[in-house]
Amino acid sequence: MSSDAPKNPLREGLLSRSVPEPCSLVIFGATGDLNHRKLIPALYNLAADGNLPPSISVIGFARREKTDEVFRTELEEAARKFSRQKINDELWKSFASGIFYHQSEFTNFEGFETLAKKLDELDAQRGTRGNRLFYLSVGPDQFPIILENLRKSGLNEAKEGSWTRVIVEKPFGTDLPSAIELNNIVHEAFHEKDTFRIDHYLGKETAQNIMVLRFANSIFEQVWNARYVHHVQITASEPLGVEGRAGYYDKSGAMRDMVQNHLLQLLTLTAMEPPTDLTADAIRDEKVKVLRSLRKITGKDVAKYTVRAQYTAGSVNGKEVVGYLDEQNVPKDSQTETYVALEANVDNWRWAGVPFFVRVGKRLPKGATEIALHFKGVPPVLFRQTEQVIDDNVLVIRIQPDEGISLRMSAKLPGSSLRIEPVKMDFHYGTSFGKATPEAYERLLLDAMAGDATLFARRDEVEEAWKFVDGIKEAWDSGEGGPVATYASGTWGPEEADELVKRHGSTWRRL
Amino acid sequence: MSEETFNPGMSVEVGRIEKELGRLWENTGDKTRASLINLAIYTETSENVAGNTELIAQIASEHACRAILIYANRTAPEIGVKAWINAHCHAVNKKEICSEQITFQLDGESPTAFANVIFAHLDSDLPFCLWWQAPFQEPHDDANLWSWVDRLIFDSNKWEDPVGQFPIVRKIAALGDARTILCDLNWTRLLSLRSALAQFFDHANALPCLDNIQAVEIVHAPGARVSALLLLGWLANQLGWQLDSVLGRHTFRGADRREITFKLIEEAGACISSCRLMTKMSKFSVDRASGGEFFHATATGGPLDSFSQILPAGRQRIADILLKELSRGGSHPLYLKSLDIIEPLLAE
Repeated sequence: MSSDAPKNPLREGLLSRSVPEPCSLVIFGATGDLNHRKLIPALYNLAADGNLPPSISVIGFARREKTDEVFRTELEEAARKFSRQKINDELWKSFASGIFYHQSEFTNFEGFETLAKKLDELDAQRGTRGNRLFYLSVGPDQFPIILENLRKSGLNEAKEGSWTRVIVEKPFGTDLPSAIELNNIVHEAFHEKDTFRIDHYLGKETAQNIMVLRFANSIFEQVWNARYVHHVQITASEPLGVEGRAGYYDKSGAMRDMVQNHLLQLLTLTAMEPPTDLTADAIRDEKVKVLRSLRKITGKDVAKYTVRAQYTAGSVNGKEVVGYLDEQNVPKDSQTETYVALEANVDNWRWAGVPFFVRVGKRLPKGATEIALHFKGVPPVLFRQTEQVIDDNVLVIRIQPDEGISLRMSAKLPGSSLRIEPVKMDFHYGTSFGKATPEAYERLLLDAMAGDATLFARRDEVEEAWKFVDGIKEAWDSGEGGPVATYASGTWGPEEADELVKRHGSTWRRL
Repeated sequence: MSEETFNPGMSVEVGRIEKELGRLWENTGDKTRASLINLAIYTETSENVAGNTELIAQIASEHACRAILIYANRTAPEIGVKAWINAHCHAVNKKEICSEQITFQLDGESPTAFANVIFAHLDSDLPFCLWWQAPFQEPHDDANLWSWVDRLIFDSNKWEDPVGQFPIVRKIAALGDARTILCDLNWTRLLSLRSALAQFFDHANALPCLDNIQAVEIVHAPGARVSALLLLGWLANQLGWQLDSVLGRHTFRGADRREITFKLIEEAGACISSCRLMTKMSKFSVDRASGGEFFHATATGGPLDSFSQILPAGRQRIADILLKELSRGGSHPLYLKSLDIIEPLLAE
């Protein structure tokens, strides 16, 4: 939206953002898990908060045969189960009256022609004015045919005075060439400004708060550099195994599933320079610079800077669980990593010499995602005589669960002798702001409807991230990256990963 | 005052309040004391103490605070101060998060006791929100206190004499180097309705209709005329209308000198149960059923296709309105401007 467009004077002083223009949201893969668990509950919550545009239409596009009524009933059940706000019958009825089902194979061009007709009818009936948002909630192998059919049927073209956008779910490609190819396919149908590559981590409040923490508090940004930071640890752990997703996961692995997108996004937000302003491109420009500054890890360096591993049988949350190779639909000789630890280096002025340790894994003792900045120690002068180890300061940004920020520092233990112990200052979102925060998908859907791409990955971000990841994957595949290590389920990963941080005189944080 | 209406916790000596609060937190295991704001409530009605304690418990579940409840028993023959402490805990992620409440009873007419108990018991470095539930007096001696107040909360809907009270509030706001933010809960009460009205005109096609409004109708509950006037003042301020009063007949004039009539209709029901904006060709209505949680927003005629939408109206319990006010933060730059416009109408 142009900044010199006339503004609604009644919006002044209201904190709520402008409600986006009415639109039709077409969800491909509408019978899938994502739509039931996330998208529909998110849309309902937006409606309950008064943030949805009037007369929005939601059209589910999927293969199975069903009526609008059956589809609405299924979605209502899902919304009652997964919505963060209790479903109000009156509001659901009003919201559900705008939900429709469109049955077609993605490969069936006729199905897109009838979709176009249906959307025109809805425009006339509901006043959605030709604004269309297509959500590709399907596997990446389906993207090309859907995008091609959208293009052939002319649905990608916005009518005069209207807009047409596409939201693409991860994984966005499986490597750089496939990502470029996919980007090209998307761009044959949609302009970059109309393409919204979703990474739900960016929609989380705590991820959005990283910029506020850094750039709205003078005390942090002053020490946010190589002069004061010893190293950074970014962790995403989960106790779950592959949970019936072996078909997808065994082809993907932790590197593609998590590192290439979520963890590198967190790294860029942590390492980026202050943007010139808060526009989408200004922020994304700075994030891309970080990705470009990442020292590529290739060839023999891969064994030195990365560790990959698979979980074996063990115990998680009191239950005995099987190893990865014994999971259903996982090939017995699979080399797919369920755990990755790596040392990344951002070769720029701010971060030269500061390692960024990234680790991600399944079947770890607990679920947690966080960024921890470990600060350098104080000069060993004043308290040398006390023969005490003074723990370094650690600033932790907890992304999930229990979102918040904590700072570890040293304090004198009460008493006549000088004893120093670490203490923690802790800020919990839940404690301070009791209200439930919106789900990531609520924010992201609303942003896409409003045309705000700040929290979405741009083409060059995705491709730069693949460049970094591909070098590692190639070395692993060629055997240069060392063997796949193992770790027992319910432990914090393989010993090899400990060695990675040990050579910098550190250990992984105990979460 | 009877014990039944007044049971705000454990009675403590005034000089030992902080010490006794500290003891509350000894050996409490998973309980965490939390505080984001100082929330002081001043009342001159003993019957309000129990209700306020309950209200503080509701507020504390979303806004951890140090709550200071002050009951000024001004007619008591002797000057004296009594104090009580208690805590409000609620579960968050298997932990108990607790807020402290200190309750004071100030007996007699001490000119300094109120300021002193406030100064002595604020949690340092946290914003100070004062909810004044009594009629405001001219701020002769309390300038020192008022300059400490970050957010002065009051509810103009409860005032018996809005004509006299608004000027005092303005004076108070000007005392602390204009730092005090005036938070009229009556203004907060209108927030959802203002959002519902605003959303009509987010669409570029509907925006020009704002320049063609010819009539406004607001239906308000008995006793909620000030709410209706504030809503009218907001519309007039945002749309550049000037009040035009001729021989006791009030209308507005737009920038193009067109006349905009308004009608305030009193009917039993929600505080504001309906607001209608009318142009020659179109009508934009927001209606709320009594007790309903939603607005029905309807646009008919004109450049927008007719549509009807359900929008959240927000609950109207005082705790919900206060929570909304505390959640928003920030200043209310339009409040005084809106008030300026409708002040001449208050007396009628």
